[in-house]
This record gives sequence, C-alpha cells and structure tokens, in this order.
Amino acid sequence: MTAVSIRSTSKVFNAGKPNQVEALRDVSLEVRGGEFVSLIGPSGCGKSTLLRLIANLLEPTAGEVIVNDKPAARARLDQDYGMAFQQAGLFEWRTVQKNIELPLELKGWNKAERAVRAKEMLHLVQLPEFADHHPWQLSGGMQQRIAIARALAAHPPLLLMDEPFGALDEMTREYMQGELLRICAATGTTVVFVTHSIPEAVYLSSRVVVMSPRPGRITKTVEVSLGADRNEDTRNRTAFFEAITAVREGLRGLHAAHVGRGSDER
Amino acid sequence: MTSLVVRAAKRTAMFVAALALVVAIWEAYKAVGPADGGTLLGVRVLPRTSDYAMPHVWDMFSRYGRPEVRGSDRTVFAAVLAGAWYSLRLSVAGFVMGSVVGVALAVLMARFKLVQRGVLPYLVVSQTVPLIALAPLVVSWGGKLEVGPFVWPRWLSASVLGAFLAFFPIAVGTLRGLAAATATSVELMQSYAASWTTTLFKLRFPTAVPYMVPAFRLGASASVIGVVVAEISTGLKGGIGRLIIEYAREATGDPAKVYTAIFGAAALGLTMAGAVVAVDAFVMRNRPRASVS
Repeated sequence: MTAVSIRSTSKVFNAGKPNQVEALRDVSLEVRGGEFVSLIGPSGCGKSTLLRLIANLLEPTAGEVIVNDKPAARARLDQDYGMAFQQAGLFEWRTVQKNIELPLELKGWNKAERAVRAKEMLHLVQLPEFADHHPWQLSGGMQQRIAIARALAAHPPLLLMDEPFGALDEMTREYMQGELLRICAATGTTVVFVTHSIPEAVYLSSRVVVMSPRPGRITKTVEVSLGADRNEDTRNRTAFFEAITAVREGLRGLHAAHVGRGSDER
Repeated sequence: MTSLVVRAAKRTAMFVAALALVVAIWEAYKAVGPADGGTLLGVRVLPRTSDYAMPHVWDMFSRYGRPEVRGSDRTVFAAVLAGAWYSLRLSVAGFVMGSVVGVALAVLMARFKLVQRGVLPYLVVSQTVPLIALAPLVVSWGGKLEVGPFVWPRWLSASVLGAFLAFFPIAVGTLRGLAAATATSVELMQSYAASWTTTLFKLRFPTAVPYMVPAFRLGASASVIGVVVAEISTGLKGGIGRLIIEYAREATGDPAKVYTAIFGAAALGLTMAGAVVAVDAFVMRNRPRASVS
C-alpha cells in the first residue's frame, strides 16, 4: 500500500512577482505504508515545503500529491495524518491531557472517549503522571513527547514531522529518537521526517531522501539496511556508518556541484 | 503562592509609600512656599499656598465627615459615595458596550485584512475628537432616537461616551492578541481542518488573553473618564462628575470640598481597573507569568 505518492510536483512561491522563489522542481516520491522516510538537505532545499505539500498546508504549483490513496486536500479534511513541528506548539492554557485531546475534540469525540484515548497516549509516551500538568511545567523533551502523543491521538496512519527534535540537546535528542522508533513500532505508523542531522536520519529511517539546494530536487535515495530492531548499539554498527557515509556523500556531491555552479554563473 | 502574597504586599507598600510622598510634597510646599505664590516678571510661576488655593490634606479628609451643606444631615462622604455609585453604574454600562464593540471590531479586522486597512486609521482618528465636542452631539442624537417604547434616557449618552473612549484600547489590544498565535499553532489547526471560527475560539482568543487584559484595564478607566467628562459637559445630575462641578463652585468658601469629589472619581477608576485585574488573576491562574508589553 502507498501512504504518500508525490508525482512530478513543483512549488513556486510568489510566481510572477519580483520575489519569486522556486522551492521545488519536478519532485517524485513514493512512501510505502509502514516506512520511515527522512528528507534531508541543506537549509532552504524545500524539505519543509515538501512536507507541507503532503500535509496540504500548501498547494503544489504543478503535479499532484496523493495521501492515503486520495488527494492531499481530502486526506487533510479526513485527518489522515498527524503532524509534529520543531516547536512542540502545545497550548499553554490547556493541561497536558487536554492538549492531547485537541484533535479528538475537533473530530467531535465525546468527553469520556477523549479521556480514555488521552490516557492511552500518555502511557504510550510514558508520561502518564503528567496528565494534569500544564505544558510550561514540562521540559522540552517531555513537551515534544506530548506533541507526538497529540499527533497520534486520532490514530492516523501517517505521521509528518518537521525537525521535531531540532531544538533539543544531543542527549535528549538520542533518547527521543529511540522513543519515536518504539512508538512507531507499537502503532505501525508511517512517518515522513524532515531533519538536517545525518545520524538522526540514518538511525530512524528505512530510507533517507537527499535533496538539493534551491530549487529543491531529490538527488539521491539511501536505503538503510539496519533492520527494524534498532537500539543504542545500532549506532556502533558498520552498516550505520556506511549509511551515514552514503548520505554524506550525497550531500557533499551536491555541495560541490552547487558551489561549482555558483562560480560558473559569476 | 507565598511569593504571590509577598509580591502583593510589596506592591501595596509601594502604593502607600508613593501616596505618602505626594502628601508630604504637598504639605512641605504649603509650609515653605510663599503665601502669595511666586511671580517672575509678572508671570505666576509658583502656585499660592494659602488655605484657599491649597487646603491641608487633613482638611480634605475631615471634610468627608461633615454635612454636605449647612444644616443637612447628609455628610459629604454619603454624597460622594452616592455620586460614585451612580457614575460606576454608567461606567460599567459604557465599559460593557465598549468591550462588545471593541472585540467585535477586532475580530472583523483580524478576519478581513481589508477591513483592518480601511477601519483602523479611522479608529485612531476617532480618538482625537475632543469628548467635550462630542458630548452635546450624542445627547441631541439620542434625544431624537425613539424606537417603539424605547426612549433614550439622558444617562445613556454618558455611557455611550464612556464606551467611545473604552472601545479603542480594547479593539487595538484584542487585535494584537488575535494576531499573536504562532505560525506553528495556526498550521496545527489547519492540519486538523479546523474552520476559521473554530481556530478563533480554540486558539486565537486563548492566545489573546494576555494582550486583552491590559487593554480591558485601560478601557475600564477610560470609560470612567468618558462618563465623568460627559456628566460635566451635558449637565447630567446624580454622578461624581456633577459633584466635582458643584463643589468646585464652592471652592472660594469651602476649598477642601472639591477634593473629596476628585478623590471619589479617582477611587472609581481604580475600582473599575481593580475589578479587571481580579478577573485577570482568575483567568490567568493556570498560565505562565510572561510579560506582554
């Protein structure tokens, strides 16, 4: 089953105006159900734009985006995906539990159903004792776990994440990566994950998609053959380093090409 | 909790100290300043310090306990209290009207950028119209207004003028608050396919609360000013504004009396603002204390 299908999609911001920006050019990508795909590339390569096209927060200029076998717009209305951002973006006036309940509330679930599901999600992210806390009483890592719980509360088949661990310190970050893998394994969720950290992309993904600087294109896809069972030892395996090297070479090739092209233009 | 108490105690102490300082400066100048004031090249640069121009602070307060007019059994305190109560009700009515109009305008401006571009400049201009000029107009327009059994009461003009001053800070503050939601939370609501109205109530209004509270506090004291000025300029009887005028006329014979009414008006404004602060403390009890300037 195909979770996400992006077909010859381009995105141009402010088309026809002096500040026109070509963010994506002719991008095609298939994500199978249950896959964990990372988008990696230098800043401004359009990886976040690509994620927002999947989420239908942006409309493509050309091409089409199919999510869960329907147009992206329909998928958004059906809430076929959950989303997590770099900022946890929890509502400070709501308790942790009420934050997790938000998507369910908007779907019209009743109070009792919401409470049961929220408790279940709190157990999933291993923070059951914080239900009645307010977000500002939690650490950054905890807030991000609550944001993941909120994104998955309605059990969407797809999780879209935009540098969710970008603002966390290295220790917390590695811990959160393990947590995310555990949660995804438990729920069978498909994930599209935007990051600019190579080890993070490799550790988490079954496939790493390398993108070029503006206009964003997919230049290389690295299959990560680390298996489903990953733990802290995975970070010491040869296959881990090989995949890191492959991604790095993909990015470096780009960089060289980009710099070269830049000097040619001059 | 204890830190809150300590902070409240500190704030009260500061308030009392500031008040004592004003009293001390008043009395000190009265004691050392020239009785006939100071003139420089024929221009008076220092106020007179006679009991007529600057009554003692204790005279002002003792005046509260004595009868309003000779032979009356109603004290000035009772009269000021009654006047303040009357004006308070008008101010609350004005504040409520101003809040409804202000919040409605803010929502419209937040929803339609075109409305914001078209209306906001006029809101700013509206506040430059002198209230004194507007008061008789409102009275005469209101007097002509008759819808079925509804006849425009005189006091309503004063409340409308209070609302006229109150709506502006409320509209501007609420608009700022409604625009303060982060891009991430707006995208989050979009990802839930939430409508604009749902986003307004679930996200934008809660985000706006810290911006709305100071705006409402300004609006509350502005409505008091509007009502008091309207009472004076339209000659409406019964309120604290009228008392200020009446007592000021007696200043030559009874200089301390007018201050009783002025303090009454100040207390009125503080009461209104204080009520908003109390509501704020309740609404914000579960929020982090971040300052919004």
